[in-house]
Amino acid sequence: MASVIDRTREVVSRWRRRFRADLKASTDASFLTAPRFLGLLYGPIDRSLPIDEALRKALARRLPAHVGWRHALGGIAYLLFMVLVVTGVLLSLHYRPSSGEAYGSIQHIVTGVTFGWLVRDVHVWSATLIVIVVLAHMARVFFDGAYKPPRETSWLIGLLLLFVVLAFGASGYLLPWDQWAYWTVTEFLDTAEKLPVLGGVIVTALTGDAFVSGATLSRFFAIHVIILPWIAFALLLFHFRMIRTHGVAPPRGATGSEALGDPFFPHHLLRLFLVSVVVLAVVITLATLFPRPIGEPASSVAPPSELVSTWVVIDVTLAMVRFFGPWGITLFALLGLAMALIPLFDRHPERRHRPVIVLGIVFFAGFLVLWLVGHQLRFAAPDVRSVTPAEVGEPPEAGSPLRELGPSPVQPGPAESGGSQ
Amino acid sequence: MTSGALTAMVAIVAVVGGPRGGYAATGQSAQLQAVQADPVYGCVVCHADMRRAFVEGIHSERGIACHDCHGGDPAALETAAAHTGDYVGTPDKIGIVQLCGSCHSDPDRMRQYGLQVGQVAEFRTSRHGQLLLGERNTDAPTCTSCHDAHTILTPDNARSRVHPTNISGTCAGCHQDESLMAKYGLSTDQFDLYRASAHGVGLFERKNFASPSCVGCHGSHAAMPPQVTEIANVCGQCHVLVRKAFDAGPHGAAARAGDLPGCTACHSNHETERVAPDAVAETCVECHDPDSRAAQLGVEAEELIVDAERDLHAADEAIEELVAAGWQVSDLRFRYQTALTDYLQIAEFQHGLDVERVGDLSRRVGSISRDIRATAEGSAERTWEHKLLLIPVWFLTLSAIVMGWFKLRRLKE
Repeated sequence: MASVIDRTREVVSRWRRRFRADLKASTDASFLTAPRFLGLLYGPIDRSLPIDEALRKALARRLPAHVGWRHALGGIAYLLFMVLVVTGVLLSLHYRPSSGEAYGSIQHIVTGVTFGWLVRDVHVWSATLIVIVVLAHMARVFFDGAYKPPRETSWLIGLLLLFVVLAFGASGYLLPWDQWAYWTVTEFLDTAEKLPVLGGVIVTALTGDAFVSGATLSRFFAIHVIILPWIAFALLLFHFRMIRTHGVAPPRGATGSEALGDPFFPHHLLRLFLVSVVVLAVVITLATLFPRPIGEPASSVAPPSELVSTWVVIDVTLAMVRFFGPWGITLFALLGLAMALIPLFDRHPERRHRPVIVLGIVFFAGFLVLWLVGHQLRFAAPDVRSVTPAEVGEPPEAGSPLRELGPSPVQPGPAESGGSQ
Repeated sequence: MTSGALTAMVAIVAVVGGPRGGYAATGQSAQLQAVQADPVYGCVVCHADMRRAFVEGIHSERGIACHDCHGGDPAALETAAAHTGDYVGTPDKIGIVQLCGSCHSDPDRMRQYGLQVGQVAEFRTSRHGQLLLGERNTDAPTCTSCHDAHTILTPDNARSRVHPTNISGTCAGCHQDESLMAKYGLSTDQFDLYRASAHGVGLFERKNFASPSCVGCHGSHAAMPPQVTEIANVCGQCHVLVRKAFDAGPHGAAARAGDLPGCTACHSNHETERVAPDAVAETCVECHDPDSRAAQLGVEAEELIVDAERDLHAADEAIEELVAAGWQVSDLRFRYQTALTDYLQIAEFQHGLDVERVGDLSRRVGSISRDIRATAEGSAERTWEHKLLLIPVWFLTLSAIVMGWFKLRRLKE
């Protein structure tokens, strides 16, 4: 009996010693104080997995001296992505992805859910800003020549992330299920269908019906909230891993190894915090001052008199579709492909190779010009196939027949005695 | 010769003669095949084009064949043999009326199709019939002018020339012919005026088949311009309540006496001009002395109608704002419909010059509109309150920026 008591006392005593040690470690003044203190289990875990040490090492890592505010663009894009994830999850609690309920659920979110209007408009504005920030990040990398070996994989993954962001926006654009969303998607699918070889196949797979319908909405919703997030997180992980492996590209003209600058914590983290605070404030301000209006409920039989574009990419695509048709999109996509393949061809040692710079200017300036043009068209009437007068039986001009009904009415004249043979 | 024997003969000619002999030698093998497919029909050997037109029509569907109208021997394969006996060929315009009437005026034949039999009798009373049958004037149209000779389609067929959306174009085919109309002193602008009128817009743009075309007012087979004293009755066939109010009012009595050209006095005929709410008083003084009591009534009515229209527009805009802000507006839309009904009812009492009732309805429209606008103002207020959120947001943001900035400077030092 005494030995059992002694053994118990020893176990308790050992547990108390460990507990005190964990508590002491948890209250150590460091960045991890709060999470460690909150979870006493963290101590035992940390003993087997040296998370604390890894984090301390990561935070203490010194970044190259030239890394400054310009390099925050990637971080802002990630911040906006996380804002989209969080607001998207909140929206999905109330959104109903069916043609009968989608519109009503958006109305409910905006007017019936506490701060639902804010969550939705922050989601909408973040979707616009993330495209601008990602493009700005891409332009910074491009004009710095930071895509050159050994960072070409990061560049390619970054471009894939841009396409994922665009796919997120495109698939999310239909979800409000109002007239603007419905007919904008209809117009773009009509245009995409004209693309040779794969146009019809892709549009049929996306639409899932003879026209944009509840089947299309289900597909777009699944792509938006299930398929794309997995792809995005995988690509982000890979992108970060590549940056970690190769580090930040040295500045133009740098030779040899570059001097290290400030550590990530607290210097760069503080900068990132400041930028994040400003970005969040800007998003909330835009969401509050310029909420996305809601159109009439989607109707597949009555196009609206005007389409109101609410996403920067729609402005750009609208300009391309209206002025260049399906080939406009193809040409711009080919330009994007050329940008993606640059690391394979641009082996020039000079970081700013003139032809490549020209290509970049054409792409980014083209995007800006198309955006401005598309912004002017954003209230345009939809350019969708409408029924022709002949289809509804209306004569185009007075007295003209719908179409030839065979021989004309008999001409007045005397009865024939012979045949026409 | 029986039809079986004929088929056998044609088949033998086609097979034995091959490409060298008989009809095949003249390049008509396709026509021969058509005859084989339809052995009793020699007509199509020469008139295949007519057959193609004819089979699209309702007569073909009902089993009527060429010889039912044109006579002759359909089994014969040669012209001379085919065009014999009761062969009538292409009848003239008067003959066409008689020919069509031979079936369409026969109740025993038409009963099975549920068709009326009065078309020829009506046509006789029309201006077209008076010219053609009375004066033997072949400028006037006959049955086939509107219905086509071979592709005769039912009026509910969208391809038919007498379909509601096509009939006015069919009429215009002659009535826009300046040289033809000049002979009868008729203008040629009716169709253009009609297209731009409320009725034309209703029919062509809104696809409202209840909107009358030419035949809605003039009649179809009995087409004739209505007389002055008949105009209110013609319009009143559709505008029932307005006609009732009009008849009960002082203008109705004047129209019955022939002193006022009915509805067209204010609305004209083919252009069916809408008197704008702010042009009511102006229209009244076209006939009445500006200082008269009648003109004063016009001014009062105009004010009330303008108020109602303004309130209705304001309610509509308020609903649009609420939709854009994401509110459910089905209840408000229902109330708007009530206001719209009241507004439309104003027209009824306006035609009876009952300004008191017009005032009641105008005030009801205003009351509903105020309710709807109050809801929209509540929404706008809520949106404005959202903006207050920016005060704490930017206060915290600026505080964070200032503190972070100082911290960064200290770190640099």
